[in-house]
Amino acid sequence: MRPDFEATPKTANLSSYLAELLAEQRVLDTPVSRFSRAHDTQVPDGSVTRFSELIPLSQPAVDEQYAFQVELDSCTGCKACVAGCHALNGLDEDETWRDIGLLVSDDSTHPFQQTITTACHHCADPACLNGCPVLAYEKDPLTGIVRHLDDQCIGCQYCVLKCPYDVPKYSERLGIVRKCDMCRGRLSVGEAPACVQACPTQAISIVKVPVGRLNGRPIAATSNFLPCAPDPAITRPTTRYVSSKPLPASLRRADAHSISAQCAHTPLVAMLVLTQLGIGLQVASGMAIIGEFTAPNVATTGYTLFVAGLMASVAHLGQPFRAWRVFLNLRRSWLSREAVVFGAVMVVAGSHLAVTWGILPIAPLLANTSLLLLGTTAIACSAMIYVDTRRQFWSPTSTFGRFLSTAAISALSVLHPLAASGALLMKLAMEGTHLLPSNRPEGPESISTRLLRGPLLTTFLVRLGLGLAAAALLITDNLRTGFALFAIGEFVERTIFFRAVSAPGMPGLPKR
Amino acid sequence: MKDRIARALTAREGPMTSELVLHPGGFGLGSVPVRLTPAGTAQSVCGFCSTGCSLTVHLDHTGQAINLTPNPHYPVNLGMACPKGWEALTPLGALDRARTPLLRNKSTGQMEAVSWSQALETFVSRFKEVQSRHGQHAVAALSTGQITTEEMALLGALTKFGMGLIHLDSNTRQCMATSHVAYRQSFGFDAPPYTYADFEESDALFFIGSNPCIAHPIMWQRVMRNPHNPDIVVIDPRVTETAMAATLHVPLRPKSDLVLLYGLARGLLDRGAVDQAFVDVHTNRFAEFRTFLADFPRERTLRETAISAATFDRLTEIVATGKRVSFWWTMGVNQGHESTRTAQAIINLALMTGNIGRPGTGANSITGQCNAMGSRLFGNASSLMGGYDFASASHRAHVADILGIPPELIPARKSWAYDEIIDGIDHGKIRALWVIATNTAHSWINQSRFAALRDKLDFMVVQDMYPTTETARLADLVLPAAGWGEKEGVLINSERRLGVIRKVSRAPGEALSDFSIFKLVAELWGCGDMFARWKSPEAAFGILRELSRGQPCDFSGIEGYDHIESARGIQWPYASSSGSAAIGHERRLFSDGQFYTADGRAVFHFEAPRPMPETTDNEYPFLLLTGRGSSSQWHAGSRTDKSEVLRRLAPTALYVEINPKDAKGLNLENNDSVTVRSRRGTAAAFVVITPNIQSGQLFMPMHFAHVNRLTHPSFDPHSRQPSYKACAVRIDRATTGLDEAASSF
Repeated sequence: MRPDFEATPKTANLSSYLAELLAEQRVLDTPVSRFSRAHDTQVPDGSVTRFSELIPLSQPAVDEQYAFQVELDSCTGCKACVAGCHALNGLDEDETWRDIGLLVSDDSTHPFQQTITTACHHCADPACLNGCPVLAYEKDPLTGIVRHLDDQCIGCQYCVLKCPYDVPKYSERLGIVRKCDMCRGRLSVGEAPACVQACPTQAISIVKVPVGRLNGRPIAATSNFLPCAPDPAITRPTTRYVSSKPLPASLRRADAHSISAQCAHTPLVAMLVLTQLGIGLQVASGMAIIGEFTAPNVATTGYTLFVAGLMASVAHLGQPFRAWRVFLNLRRSWLSREAVVFGAVMVVAGSHLAVTWGILPIAPLLANTSLLLLGTTAIACSAMIYVDTRRQFWSPTSTFGRFLSTAAISALSVLHPLAASGALLMKLAMEGTHLLPSNRPEGPESISTRLLRGPLLTTFLVRLGLGLAAAALLITDNLRTGFALFAIGEFVERTIFFRAVSAPGMPGLPKR
Repeated sequence: MKDRIARALTAREGPMTSELVLHPGGFGLGSVPVRLTPAGTAQSVCGFCSTGCSLTVHLDHTGQAINLTPNPHYPVNLGMACPKGWEALTPLGALDRARTPLLRNKSTGQMEAVSWSQALETFVSRFKEVQSRHGQHAVAALSTGQITTEEMALLGALTKFGMGLIHLDSNTRQCMATSHVAYRQSFGFDAPPYTYADFEESDALFFIGSNPCIAHPIMWQRVMRNPHNPDIVVIDPRVTETAMAATLHVPLRPKSDLVLLYGLARGLLDRGAVDQAFVDVHTNRFAEFRTFLADFPRERTLRETAISAATFDRLTEIVATGKRVSFWWTMGVNQGHESTRTAQAIINLALMTGNIGRPGTGANSITGQCNAMGSRLFGNASSLMGGYDFASASHRAHVADILGIPPELIPARKSWAYDEIIDGIDHGKIRALWVIATNTAHSWINQSRFAALRDKLDFMVVQDMYPTTETARLADLVLPAAGWGEKEGVLINSERRLGVIRKVSRAPGEALSDFSIFKLVAELWGCGDMFARWKSPEAAFGILRELSRGQPCDFSGIEGYDHIESARGIQWPYASSSGSAAIGHERRLFSDGQFYTADGRAVFHFEAPRPMPETTDNEYPFLLLTGRGSSSQWHAGSRTDKSEVLRRLAPTALYVEINPKDAKGLNLENNDSVTVRSRRGTAAAFVVITPNIQSGQLFMPMHFAHVNRLTHPSFDPHSRQPSYKACAVRIDRATTGLDEAASSF
């Protein structure tokens, strides 16, 4: 690319000079060969030996694993660990595997601040691993490192919901999550992990920590994990935060007062609402539906909604073509269980539809009872996916209440509109309780409340309006419009279900 | 069987897995990601702060940088870097880099891409037109501590000797002018005496208005390596990261540091802790200083600084009993209304206790920008390049001789300081301005005035990597500059170490190095012949080497860039006569007690403290302190905001820290939206309640664009450095939501 010169006599010389300078600017006058040579003659690399004192000399014993240790006294907030990890692991521009937070005190007599550096805690009982439907997480039996298998991951992001420390990070580019593997490749050749190498004050090291089992579940010997961090009893994180000075009693996370609405996960909203509406309708079609509707029509509508819901769920996956593995973790993952049960529902509901249309000679009562039992199980599995994250807003009462009542109201709308209307009003009331102030000044519950009373208030009012209108229409026999408004209202309700949850994590920085 | 099924169902390998696979990088690098395997490496010192870390840049087969790691063999950083250093390559790839010159279309008011020849012709014709109408000195330039020494020197020579300007100042006025003047007056030359090894050799370290944990984390590394279990004293109104790490934090009243330092000197006198032998042989004016200190009895110090008697006594004891006491200061001292005397009060403490010239001692100014030290020696602003004096005819003749120019081209007067140039615009004396690699509209104290004065300029040129800085957006002409990593040259760090930056990345579009731009301007201005010898940055370095010969900063023994690199940086002095080979990696000045004054003695300078120019009152009841907010943000953020990684390491909206007591009184809670007002402007922020700031004070980080709307334009009379650290403000709950705060980044 040559610049556009106006070749006036005055600038003729300038033009050639300019061209020369532009050409020169493009030449990198650091020929690789020259510097490679220079390096070959330089002193031998000292970086490997230099950090070897920060990693264990021997591999962990049977009842041990590797763990990060952070000397809080030495960590003074330079944050090089985050950038060093990013560069040495070749992460994407917007991807960090280490994060930085701050603990502060409100006690005026003892001012205090402590930077907290945090990465994967390589938990003894990792929630990511337990929840992953395709077994894309492995806990190395020797080192205890929790490794993510990038080519196995289907991008369902359930681990993101399951991890209390916000460790797995979803990559839009790849459609999978990635996370810290304690630089297992480096450790295997006697090099310290990137963050350990990058810390100017040697605050991070790798140590061996004892691990064992308690009541059949794995535990790690890190009883005092870190104040203001999520309860270590959930996943048994192995990172050790150590300090020679006791931390003050009145600690607070610097981000304790920031609230931000979470991702809405629209495909999941669609999946949950459509499958629940569909199962409800189809089960009702085999019962005493009111005159206005016919069983085949209701069953067909229900089945269509259900299948549409299943298809919507695929849109949630970053790697849908790998999703055939989804049954692999039936032993531990509610997502695997949901997938398998939903598969069964599809078959049973298909048969049910055929029975309703008179194509398949099975006793209708048997078909309907099967669908009722299996459908309820499927919805319960859906609910358990969220309950199992132990997030407060997704408590069993709230989650089961929402999911099952969606199906029940859907069914009642063609069986007993007045009852449907009453149930919907009760559901609205239940949802409204989350707006009531909590007794506790801080904490996850109050974050959901503050989200609902703040940034999500308009959404909630829309949801309320839709629900009330649907209830009114159902009572006044405008059943089709009533059902439609009810369904739309459920979409909004489920959006709120995702957006108003308080996502746990390690302490962060002050945030707007 | 079970294992075989599991294996069949588990994809352990594949394209995504291999993205992150590590293997030996060669070149002594340890493991690197396979896809970022270097074909070679280059060494380059970092272009952010004055620490001067060496970075090993990983290159692909075309010589283009693909990654970097800190250099483990460099005596400054010992294999470490702060987040800015690790991310140094990222800002080069920003989408908003200036790729062509941009000229404002007079009819539409929009910036339009133009050719270099059109840009340069406009540059020359508009500046010459202003000079012909309003006098040669009506064109001024504002430079930077962020370009190479060769570029600074070329700019200084071009503007003053070629274009006939008088007024050229630099953003180093905002950070380092005070240390420059303080050292010149006290030691006879601007000569920070220390080497970083002194951090490790002290048995007591004083950090005064300094927060190295986040401002200079790689220097702090050296403090942490100190094996002597030292006393670490931090004198700072705030409980900073460094104060947390200190063994003694002295939370004095803001801007009472001068009283404290004089009080401490008096305390040492009273204790008989003066090194009389050193004072007698190596200093002047100590007797006058002793008399002056009569006005600083202990009671006055305690009253005016609001520190406890026990703390004060402990301070005195640490200095009195320490064998190797070092005093370190940064912007908390330099940016004050009586900063030169404050810096000299620190120097006085070192002199009177003989804590200078020995390992682990010194009165040590920690510099700010990567090449503030280059600017101080060769910027050609207030002193003639090479550390000479504009006012001296013999100096002018000497410099002219080396440069090969007629001595009458060198003006006999020094430049106006930055604030005087701004005043000059207001008074119509300055009618055109050339701004190079600085962001005046963001960083200048009481910034709104600069924007308002823009209309008084007939023509304004901004030369920068980005056409999007607050200042570039005000320009008539933007010249696209190559940045660090896209050019060669020398930077001089805090401990006087010359380091080389290397060209490891191609500049975007038609962006050119500042050196090339200056050469082009010279060519078109008609003074190109004057710079015929300045063929390349390294050729220019040869000229600077000659200028340094015989000066305290003599580095005439340096052969060239490769010599600097193979020696892992070279501290001045490094004279050709000094038997360079035997000189070590860590050298300090004044070990012989000989200073650079005419009689070889250091001088005690002192002056009665003055009250703060703007104090709090009923209307503006809070004192606003400003400063660095995190290690991941550099000044106005022109470069660091380009890195997503760095942006994650600090709050992304402007916040204001307030003491819990004050917050309670104002009924404010964390994250509330507030408006902070001074007599000069307002800034929207969100509330962060912390006892780390004293009651009656507020803190705001300087990296956000609106903070300097608030600051009060007062200046140290000796250094003309602005006093950023103290102004009176009020804080009110915001009436209009968060939008402004969110957009203020």
